[in-house]
Amino acid sequence: MINSEGNAGQPAKKVLKLDKVCKRFGGVVAANDISIELFPGEVLGLIGPNGAGKSTIINLITGVYQVNDGKIFIEGKDITKAPAHTRAREGITRTFQHPHLLQRSDIATNIFLGMDLARKKDNKMQTGEYKELLDRLLQVSGLDDLDFDDGIGRLSYGEQKLLETVRAILSRPKVLLLDEPAAGLNQRELEKIKALVRIALDMDAAVLFIEHRMDLVMSICHRITVLNFGNLIAEGTPAEIQENPVVIEAYLGRKRGA
Amino acid sequence: MIKRKNLFSAANIAWLFVIVLAIMLPFTVSGYMVRVLSTTMITYMCVLSLYVLFGMCGQSSFVQCGLWGVGAYITALLTTRLGAPPLLAMLGSMVGTALFAFLIGLVLFRLKRYYFAFSTIGLMMVLNGLFQNWKEGTGGALGISDIPPFGVGPFQISSGQGNYYLILFFAACATLLIWALYRSSLGRSFMAIRDNETAANCMGVNSLISKDIAFGISGALCGVAGALFSFLSGYISSTSFTLPTSQLYLVIIMLGGTASPGGALIGSFIITLLPEWFRPLKDYMQLIYGLGIMGLMIVLPEGLVGGGKDLYDKFRRKRRPTGKKSFEA
Repeated sequence: MINSEGNAGQPAKKVLKLDKVCKRFGGVVAANDISIELFPGEVLGLIGPNGAGKSTIINLITGVYQVNDGKIFIEGKDITKAPAHTRAREGITRTFQHPHLLQRSDIATNIFLGMDLARKKDNKMQTGEYKELLDRLLQVSGLDDLDFDDGIGRLSYGEQKLLETVRAILSRPKVLLLDEPAAGLNQRELEKIKALVRIALDMDAAVLFIEHRMDLVMSICHRITVLNFGNLIAEGTPAEIQENPVVIEAYLGRKRGA
Repeated sequence: MIKRKNLFSAANIAWLFVIVLAIMLPFTVSGYMVRVLSTTMITYMCVLSLYVLFGMCGQSSFVQCGLWGVGAYITALLTTRLGAPPLLAMLGSMVGTALFAFLIGLVLFRLKRYYFAFSTIGLMMVLNGLFQNWKEGTGGALGISDIPPFGVGPFQISSGQGNYYLILFFAACATLLIWALYRSSLGRSFMAIRDNETAANCMGVNSLISKDIAFGISGALCGVAGALFSFLSGYISSTSFTLPTSQLYLVIIMLGGTASPGGALIGSFIITLLPEWFRPLKDYMQLIYGLGIMGLMIVLPEGLVGGGKDLYDKFRRKRRPTGKKSFEA
């Protein structure tokens, strides 16, 4: 469990800011006064037991859900009330826990959808630049020898998750939200996800990483935020989080006889 | 980079065959058959409009026949009342129907999923009522007669064959445009909405506007089809533009397959030509027809084209295994 000591925590300009965000579903508080900041070129891990409110946070950031209280800013711009498509065009791109690809279209169409989003943000970009980025992404993810006229149904689950991540990075996000990108993936595919995240970091994206596999979280994240029952219970570097008694208790339960 | 299908793919060869066949047909069949084929191509354009809205964008609609009627009435009124030249009248039908659909869509697409489909049933009934009862505008139950044939300048198209080629030309143009739409970013935004609206929004697709544009494009297609119908028949009345015909369009596209314009084409021809060929069966035709559709939906839920494509893919893979998949599990 080695933490890559990158340039995390540098006082760079923050790209995404959640300010005391609350979300309630009836009586259930899914997010309670959550404040999170994301900086370009860093990976923030968002961990917590099932039902802790991790996916809710992503849904709030992307505009799938609207917040009850609090504010969300991207590069200082208030997007609290903005619809999902506006936020996507501001540079927030996500993947889903279960890949949400165009199930009835071919692979090429799916990939081009990511390019479409990039063009909506910056139409000055040349096709050659996309080509370069796409080639790199496909090569790293091992998807480069597929038949792109094939339907999505011919891809394995892991390939679909990789493809969704490729598509997300291809849209050149400022903020990349990955919702359990490694769930259901084997070790080889896991390495590919890591390599893809590194490409996103090279592009100066801020990555929010939800994951249950602790080895992956500890090896890839610069900072970690821990949620439990909609509350933010801990923040810090991977090393700090591993030592944090509150986190250990939330994850493993109270030690017998402690 | 991504390589797309080459020019000589099976689908393209099939299309080429269809075009050659379509050009040759009028020389080999009777005048009556030419007329049947002409109306079939008009139906095809209406079903193609449904392909954009339903096949690409996932929004089922029961109002396509009503939009077709709007297009037909616009041309009929422009030519008979204002003496507009046919080409201008057709343009008026296209733009007018597209605008009509777009504006109505702004309201109707506030409704999500099948509620939109329900609302289009209402719209269809309103339109049919309007065609039937608005005496000053649509001529009421009498309809509008003496619509001049299509013509540009001194060239008048009055023969059955002339009309056939006119309609063929516009049907071919419509198909090409829809094919281009399929490959465009707008087309991709439609398909993203069809497969998952939330995910589409998260990829920067404004679903309200995109769906409305799809509705507008389908309106434009129906408008042109309506104008062609006016020129072909010279007389229109409300009995042509009914809810059952709209439902038939949905049956046609389900039968042919929603995955490509080819489905709309094959479906249109089967549904309109089968009754012609099996006329001796008389009343039994309806029974066979109904059972046939039910059977096909069970055996080939993706329609004839979808099912055919699956078969072709299976055959292609058996013959030439790719062996590229290196992922375990």
